[in-house]
Formats: sequence, C-alpha cells, structure tokens
Amino acid sequence: MYIGLVWLVVRFRNWHLDGYISDEIFSLIKVKSNQADSSASASGGALSQEFCFEWDHVMEYSKDIKELLGNPKSNYDPLIEDPKEVLNKGEEPTSLKAAWELMEMFYADKLCQSWFPERLVDWLADYDCLLSGDQPTVHSKLVDFQGTLVTLQVIEDDPKYWEVISSALAIGWLEIVVKLLRLHGSYQLDQLGHRETENGLVETVAVLISMMPRMRLELKNGKLGECFEAKPDFMKAWEKWREQITKLDSSAFWVPCHHRQTREGLKNLIQIMLGNTKILCTATDHWIELYISHFLFIRPFTVGFEGMYNLAQKCIQMKPMSSPHKLLRLIIGIIGENTEVVLAECSRGFGPWMVAHAIELLTARSDLADILLHKEHDDIGGISMEELHRLVYAQVLTSHFLTWQIAPVYLTSCMKQGMSLLEFLLYRQPAQHNQLLLKNLEICRLYDLDHVSSNIMKIAGVYHWKHGRKGLGVFWLQQARDEFLLNKIARQLFDSVGKSISSESFKQWEGLIELLGSESKPAGSLEFLHKYRDFKKSLQQACDRKTLDAAQHAADSLMSLMKNPSTPQRFWLPLLYDSLTLLSWPARPLLNVSQTNLLLNKLQELSMASVRPGFVASDLPAEALNSVRLALATNLGRAILEEQ
Amino acid sequence: MAITNLPKNPEIHRIPQPKFIDAIRWLSSPSPFQKSFITSLYDSDYHTPSLEIHSLDPSKTLTTALFSWTPPSRISSLKSTPSLFAASTFLGSLHIFKTPEEMSVLGNDMSDLGSKTSDMEPVVSVVGREFHVGSVGGVDLMEGGSECVTVGEDGRVNLVVERGDFRRVFDENGLVSYSAVKWASPAEFVTGGCGFGLQWWDLRQSSAAVAQFKGNWDHGTTSGIIHSIDINPSRKHTCLAGGSSGTVFAWDLRRPQEPIILSSIGSSDTMTHPLSESEVWEVQYDCYTNSLNSNISSSRILPAMICSEDGILAVIGQGEEPTELLAEPCAINSFDIDNQNPSDVICSLEWESIVILSRP
Repeated sequence: MYIGLVWLVVRFRNWHLDGYISDEIFSLIKVKSNQADSSASASGGALSQEFCFEWDHVMEYSKDIKELLGNPKSNYDPLIEDPKEVLNKGEEPTSLKAAWELMEMFYADKLCQSWFPERLVDWLADYDCLLSGDQPTVHSKLVDFQGTLVTLQVIEDDPKYWEVISSALAIGWLEIVVKLLRLHGSYQLDQLGHRETENGLVETVAVLISMMPRMRLELKNGKLGECFEAKPDFMKAWEKWREQITKLDSSAFWVPCHHRQTREGLKNLIQIMLGNTKILCTATDHWIELYISHFLFIRPFTVGFEGMYNLAQKCIQMKPMSSPHKLLRLIIGIIGENTEVVLAECSRGFGPWMVAHAIELLTARSDLADILLHKEHDDIGGISMEELHRLVYAQVLTSHFLTWQIAPVYLTSCMKQGMSLLEFLLYRQPAQHNQLLLKNLEICRLYDLDHVSSNIMKIAGVYHWKHGRKGLGVFWLQQARDEFLLNKIARQLFDSVGKSISSESFKQWEGLIELLGSESKPAGSLEFLHKYRDFKKSLQQACDRKTLDAAQHAADSLMSLMKNPSTPQRFWLPLLYDSLTLLSWPARPLLNVSQTNLLLNKLQELSMASVRPGFVASDLPAEALNSVRLALATNLGRAILEEQ
Repeated sequence: MAITNLPKNPEIHRIPQPKFIDAIRWLSSPSPFQKSFITSLYDSDYHTPSLEIHSLDPSKTLTTALFSWTPPSRISSLKSTPSLFAASTFLGSLHIFKTPEEMSVLGNDMSDLGSKTSDMEPVVSVVGREFHVGSVGGVDLMEGGSECVTVGEDGRVNLVVERGDFRRVFDENGLVSYSAVKWASPAEFVTGGCGFGLQWWDLRQSSAAVAQFKGNWDHGTTSGIIHSIDINPSRKHTCLAGGSSGTVFAWDLRRPQEPIILSSIGSSDTMTHPLSESEVWEVQYDCYTNSLNSNISSSRILPAMICSEDGILAVIGQGEEPTELLAEPCAINSFDIDNQNPSDVICSLEWESIVILSRP
C-alpha cells in the first residue's frame, strides 16, 4: 500500500530524449516521507477515507513531478492575432512529460474517468507533434499547410485545405477547423455578393462545429464546444446536434452551391460529424488519431475504459505502423492492462528515471499491479520489482560525481538491499579531501549510518597518517574512537617524541597535544603525551622558581605519570632521570616511602625487561640508571626518617 | 524565524551553471550597475578546474566569462581584496592575481569584453614542495596590503610577499593541520584547524602561536574542524569562527578560554535548537544587518552570516533568533557579502548554481 511513500522528484536541465541522466543535473529533490504516514494514522479508520487520502496524495505527487518535467505549453497570446496563423507555436513538449501525463491519466486521476475520451483528445492536442516520425500526423500536415498558406491565392480550390480541415475535425481540434473555415474565400467582402449561399453553408458548418456537445467539466480558453457534466444532458444535446447536422445534410441549399470543392469539402465534414467510419479513416494518419476520432464521433457515450483495448486493436489493424512510436507502444501497454508491458516500455522508451517514479502511479489503482510490483521475487535476490527499479535508478545516479549525493534518497527507500548498497557506495568515495569527506559523513548522519561514518573516519585517519599529516590522522581516529589504531600509531609517535622532545621542539608538539585535549576524548595511549607535557612544564617551573610548592606539584605529576599504565616503559628511565632534581630536593623529600618504593619497583622491572628481546633502550648516558637508583635510595632514606 | 530586521524578503536570482562551483567572491567594481565576481569552478566530467571572472548586469543575467585561467588543480580557497585576489590549490600552490579593475580594464572599455573570454595570468605564483605539501587549507590577503598568509594541511604557515618570495612562519611537520586563516592586523592573524582549535599569531613576537584556543567547551566526545574565520577590523581582538556540527562561536582574545557560542549542537544556550546541525562552511560578519540595528553595544558580537551543508544561509546575532535568508535542498558551499554594497550576497550551491540575494 501507499504508506510512507518517499516522494522523489529530481529535475534535470536539458533532459536528453533518451531519458538517461543528463550531465547537467539541475536541482530539487523533494522528500516528503512519513508525511503520509503520520496523517494516515491520525485519520485512523474508515477505509474509504484512507482510499481518498491515498488517491489525493498520488495525484499531488504526480502534479509535483509534472511541474518539474516542464511547464505546460506557454499559451502564446498575441495582442493582434494573425488570421493566417492556425497553429500556436509553443515550446516543443518532451515525450517524457507526455508519457507521464498518460500514466497519470490512466492510473492516478480518478476525476477524469467519466470524461476519459476527452482527456485523451486533450493529450493528443498537446503531444501529437511528438508522434510524427516517418509517418505524417495531423499536426505535421497542419504545419506543412500553414507554410503554404501565405502563397495560396484561392484557398478553397486547394484540396489540401479541405484535407487538413477534415483531419483536424476528426481529432477534435475544433477551434482550428473553425479558424480555417473562416479563411474561406466567400468571406471576402468583394465575393460575398455572388457567393452568398456558399458562404451561408460554410458558416453554418462552422457554427455547428463550434456547438459540438462535449462530455467534460470545462474547456480551456479558446477551445470550442459545449460542455456537459451529466450523461443524460449530454445525450440529449448530442441527439439534437446530430439532428441538426442531418437536417443540414439533406438541405436544399447544396444545389445552388456551385463551388465543387466547397460542396464536397463541407459534405465531407458533415460525414465526419455523423461518424462515417471510412471517412474518419482517411482523415486520420496514426491509429491513435483514428482511435480518438472513434471516441469523438462514433462512440461518444463511452465512459471509463470499457472496450478500449478491442477498439485499439481494430484501429491498429486499419492503420498499421512499421515502427510504432514509444508513446504509442506505451499506450497499447496501458490499455492492454498489462503492467509488465507498461514497465518494459517505460524502461525501454524513457529510461530508469521513468520506471522508478512511475511505479507509484501504477500501483495506485490496481491491486493486481500492487501485488506484482511489491511481491518479493527470489530470482532477483528476494527484492520486489519496485525496489529493483529504484536500485537501478540509484545506480545510474551514483555513476556521476554530481548526482551521487541524490542516490541515498532512493537507496534508503529500498528496504532490502538499499542500505547495504549505500554503505558500499559511501566506502567507495575518496577520503583525501576533508571537505568531500565531511559531505559523506553528513550523509551518514542523515541516514543514521554511524558504523559507516566511523569506518570512513578510520580510513581517512589512516590515509592522513600515512601521508605525514599526523595531526589530521589523530583527529579522524579520535573522531572514530578507534583506540586500537590510536595505540598503534602512538608507538610510532613516541619514537619521534623520544628523540625530539626538548623544551624548544615542544612548541611543535603543542598543537597536537592540544588536539588530544581533555580526558573525555578518547586518545588511547596518546593521552600520555598530554601528561608528559604537563609534567615537563611543572618540572620547568620547579627548577625556575625553586619553591617547595612547585616542586611538590612536579613530583605529584611524576607519580601520576609513573602510576599510569598508559605510560610507555621506555619513558620510565628518561622521566626519572629528568626528575633527579626532584628526587634530591634539598628542603625535604618530596616523595614518601610508598611512592619511592613504587618507583624502585618500576626501576627493577625495567632492568629485568632490558634483558628481554624487543626492549628499546633510551639514549641516556650509561650511568643514568645508577644515578636514578642512588637518588631514589637517598630519598627513601630521607623519607623514612621524615615519617618517623 | 524572526524577520524583524528585514521587512521585505530579499530578491533572489538563481543562475544555473554548467560546472561545480568550489568558491565564489565578489570583486570590487567601479560602477554599482556593473558588478563582477570571481568563481573557482570544477568540471567533473573532464576533471578540469578553472577560475573565471564574470560580470553581472542589473538584470542579473550572466554573460560569458570575461577572464578565465586554468589552475594546476582544484581551488581549495579563494579570497579577494579590492586590488588583488588569491587562489590556493589542492596541490599546494598559491596564485595571486590583480583584479580587472586594477588592470584598468573594467569600467574603461567594456564594449570589447563580454563577447569573448580573455586569458588572465597570475602576478604571483608560488609552487613547489618547499611551499606546501598537500592541500592549502586557507589563504588570506591583507586588506590594502601586499602580504598573503597561507596555511596548509601539512601544518605549515607561510607568508607570501608580492614579489613571489615566501617566508616560513612556522612548520608543524604535519602534527597539526590548518584549515582556515584570517588577518587580524598587519602583524597578527588567526588560524583554525582540527578539534575546533584556533591559534593567534603575532609576527612581532615569537615564531609560534601566541595564544591557543582549544575547543572542548562542550565536554562532548566529538569534535570538529574550523572551516572559516572572520575578524572585523574595528574589533580585531574578537574572531568569529564556524565549523563542524553547526558550530559558530566568537573567541575574544581578552577572555581566551571563554568562547561566545552563537550556534552549536551541544550548547545549553537559550536557543532551543541549533540553526544547522552540519558543517558551517563559511562565516562572515554581516555589516548590513549591523547597520540596521545601530544600537548594538560594543560588548556584543556583531551579527554574522553563515552558510551550511544542509542548505541554510542565515544571519545570527548574539542572543537573538537567527534570520534565515535561504533554505535550499542542497548544500550552500560558499558565500560572499559585497563590501561596496553589503545588501548584496552571492552564494554557490552544491547543485551547480549561483544565487544572488539583494536585500531590501
């Protein structure tokens, strides 16, 4: 069902006709997820209500997409109308939008069901121009005729004139028919006198055409016909209109009309309006045109989709095509009520974008399609068709630098495989540049992919570490809270610390130590660096100031360092050697008995470790160990005396 | 959102671009009707970066680029002053150009321009491993001066003088990486980097930073990177910084351990929720909003404009509700307030477009 639908709308600039991703992706994603969810649970109940609600939302979704696929043909409305301009030159519509409207009409718009044939007429009026390929269409014939219009002296003598009029009438382009009829020579003032009857007939036909009853809610500005909402009213009006036409057909005025072309042309139009199958067939080019003319003049009372497929088959037989246009193939699929064919045509003709987005429409009305598209298929990895198509589209998006950030929106709506694909995608992104990295991490944050983001940070940390940017490396590993790796790099870091730390070079280390920051941040054994720096500072102060307080403070930080398990063994001796002045502080012993014992034990441990393999000897003078031992022993003696 | 300062909504123009925009800056122009700006672009199809100067007429339509130049790699940072602009690259080079006005091209004879793109050449180029290894994180040109400071991921702080020589101020040997820099005075500048760290440097004193700020005010376990710093010439002791997790704060050198937080996820400030939860890519003091409320006391932080990864362009003031100017579906990667006419703001969007805002 339609709950928790993620509405995804991506607009492309310069959408290529093949429907694939254009390089120049433009903007706008709309994610309206869960909006449906929350209000659905709020309404909580009546099935019909839910149904309406669902339908409204599908329509809203469809409207959003249509808007993004391009605005409707700009209704070009010049102040001074050119009487010879029959067709409005609007923007060329895209077949993608044509296909979308078609899908909407058949699957989502429940309002249009009662006046469905008229919707189809409107659709063809907008998109007939797309269908002309190797075969002419009414639109292309009109365009051709418009080109020759200026050069024609006596318009009504040209058989083409009557031909395009009957074609336009057959597919219901009434305003064009009336406009063309009024270009008839008999309207000219100098001819009106001797062609009165002829002019009368032309005008009568034009008026009858403009009065054609149509079963629809409304007509757009400038379109002709009389609208009827209710079927009984429409039927009554239709009968009356037909009567008038029949009356005109058998009228006596035809006899004094001497202009043969006019007489035959008008009679032809009357036959079209009376629903003459043969003439309709000659007036139209494509089967869809013939199909629509059937609805207009032969089966005007058709409601809904009854018998549509059979009629279409009949029309195709009468107007066979060697290579049908993709829109026509789509129509056949739709009226054949074959969801698989529709999907296949969408994907073949309009690309993965269309398929991924059209599924929402396909499932809106039909439970059968809903089952088909949402059933999990074992042969495609246990995912549904819906998910499959979303995945396919997401993959298209991921193939380009600019569009890959949109892919997560689709991937996260894929229940089964989307998230793992997204993870894979995120791992594949380069980690060199912090800015790009942060953008990826933002995606992780949005979709609650904490484990992925911590892995990405680890990758970045190791990358920067290896490239000599130790600070950045430590930062990212800290962000990832990877104590294991931090401990690992700590050993490498201590090697350089052991060699280079002196009071001058501490300036360089200062920044990194600041970064390691407070104790709340995980730093692994790097925490030692922080304490080491503090100890060095207090030792410096003790030596400078020579006050007891400063010395005691330094001794305390020495003890905390020596007690701390994260202090590497190799620093024990250098630490103690540095603190010789503290151990033999003249005023009083700074360390008590137990503290001194602890240090002596450490010293013992150290000398035992020195015989083991892998011991890193410090580069202190050889007598360092002895002098520390001596100082500790002296201190122990003084401390014992003090404590007694 | 409180819109007390802006009675009317700003005029917004969107100009789609064929390439990704890394950074964007206004350039000063002799005429208010003929504005120009510089963008650093990246063509992701051909992996080619470029630097282009465009001019903008009052109808806000974009002509072909007036000038263009192909840098050796993608631009990492871009700054402009009335006479010069500087661009640093991912490969660690720096290129300084004279502005078109300085070259006395704009304003004199515009008729030749606009139809075709001319090449421009940097007046100074510094390249090589001696200078920076890896990406230059930030660059700043001194207003009216000729010195340019660059900081990099490699932890180097360099000072480039106009002749093209450079002096190493400090080298961290990669122990610290810098991502932003801003001059405070002719002898002082502030750098920013990982862990919300800020460093104050004084060229007259020692070679190392004279003051450090460590950003562990939130006592949280996560930290972030400073992306942008701004300093107002009239209050050079206070610097404004923006970075990860929607963090925007001011650091007053006189109270170095007490940052004034304007926006942050972890802050227990009066604000109920932060303006943004993701990266704040750029911060700048907004002298336009400042001029509207002239009664801002000298102890208050001046209003600041920010742009963020989650698509927000907003003005925030100390203890005030922020004013959102744009809320886009994609990231706003950089913006610039026009110095000559501070009501105009230009910004670049993730999805290849430029937005120009003219505030009423």
